[in-house]
Amino acid sequence: MSGVSVVGVGMIPFGKYPDKNIADLGWPAVKAAIKDAGIEAKRIRAVYSGTARGGAMVGQRIMGRLGLAGLPIVNVENACSSSSSALRQAVIAVESGAYDVVLVIGVEKLTKFGGGTLPLDEDDWEVRLGLSMPALYAMRAQRYMHDYGVKLEDVAAVSVKNRKNGALNPDAQMRKEVSVEEVLASRMIADPFTLLQCCPTGDGAAAIILASNAVAKQIRKDAIEIRGSHLTSGRFMSGFRDMTSPEITVRGAHEAFEEAGLGPQDIDVAEVHDAFSIAELLYYEAFGFCPRGEGAELLKSGATSIGGKIPINTSGGLIAKGHPVGATGAAQVVEIVRQLRGEAGPRQVEGAKVGMTHATGGGISGFDHGACSIHIFQR
Amino acid sequence: MAVEAAQTVNRPYLCGDALVVDARGHATLMGGRCVDCGNETFPRTPVCASCMGENIAAAAMPGQGTLYAFSTVHVAAKKWKKPMRIGYVDLPNRARVFTHLEGENLAIGDEVEVALSVVGEDDEGPIESFVFKKVRA
Repeated sequence: MSGVSVVGVGMIPFGKYPDKNIADLGWPAVKAAIKDAGIEAKRIRAVYSGTARGGAMVGQRIMGRLGLAGLPIVNVENACSSSSSALRQAVIAVESGAYDVVLVIGVEKLTKFGGGTLPLDEDDWEVRLGLSMPALYAMRAQRYMHDYGVKLEDVAAVSVKNRKNGALNPDAQMRKEVSVEEVLASRMIADPFTLLQCCPTGDGAAAIILASNAVAKQIRKDAIEIRGSHLTSGRFMSGFRDMTSPEITVRGAHEAFEEAGLGPQDIDVAEVHDAFSIAELLYYEAFGFCPRGEGAELLKSGATSIGGKIPINTSGGLIAKGHPVGATGAAQVVEIVRQLRGEAGPRQVEGAKVGMTHATGGGISGFDHGACSIHIFQR
Repeated sequence: MAVEAAQTVNRPYLCGDALVVDARGHATLMGGRCVDCGNETFPRTPVCASCMGENIAAAAMPGQGTLYAFSTVHVAAKKWKKPMRIGYVDLPNRARVFTHLEGENLAIGDEVEVALSVVGEDDEGPIESFVFKKVRA
């Protein structure tokens, strides 16, 4: 156990806010988290702020808006794992005894790029030659379908489930259910992915307040304890690799479960990094929710739907809730905390006690992904 | 044809010196071989990710490999020819190469060979790079 608990969460609905700057996206999430925790803002001792593409000093910009700057603020960039990596740093800081109450922010404004695929760094060899995130995941999907005989509609079914969940979440960017036919008939992006199998471009912000367990008990009765907090980077391999099994998440899951003294069978609800439809199936397998090659069967069985044995991405996930990259990890925590407190309304997982978040990303040559951060929570 | 492309485009290849084309238009990929541990990589890097050695020699890569995975991409930066077919090719020396692909009816497991081609166009003109295409039976 880490000795650290979540005492407050807040977010703004993910969506498109082209007229708002990043500070104005961020501060309402922070204010909501402070209100949710029911603490005075001055109790926050330090801030860890994650953004992938938001630029410099984003934490300061946001805290400045609220008149709360003047405390230690650390800005974290780790691609799609930016705010989950910020959370990891915040947990370490509280565990160390340096601070008893800290704030984690995740924020991103992707509409500033004007749509299309997420711009990647052309300094990277494969990016310069034309690789993009949809193309990378598309190759994973192609190889997975080839190796396991999985059909297009079985992969597209991830979007159907997650859009259904998103329709129940007021904070989701995409709130309309879709059929598998609609998913497959939408515009082709990177074969086999049609538009509805890709996370949308959007903006968003989320915030989390952590406290040491001792302080958390004074703040609220239903604080959510962090049982496992894990961050790792991908291993560089220039040669052959199995693209159907992301080593970074397989290894990260193993280590996170070991640290928490838990296993996949103990997880009641999880948010995993479904940037594209195939990803969710790969992560079912990477976390051991099912054996290799059986992800599509697990989905089809209903086990990962709300009401199933292990509901995944009840928020709608990246596909429906949206994926303002640096905000994603923090927003996943918002969902899991709401689930564990029993505040998830029509998408509530009955009796959920243990939840998990998983944010991984960063498209760079020679890596499955650059970063992966996994957190396990318990009420 | 690859030979024509080599004659009409007067600018560095997209992949720099990782591609060498001889007078007859024959394309060869140049990677790196660590003199200390023998690890071969593509592209060549100044330091070996297996042993941290810095004595990396240029090494011609095998010209044929096996298509590991690929996708036909419809949404990409303006400069690329679309739809753009891209994939990973596994070479016999265990290097994996990200590449543009040419030709129809490709399948995972196909034997493919390297060639030179135009893969896009920008303000400076056509963009040339290496591509892989099916080995003719």
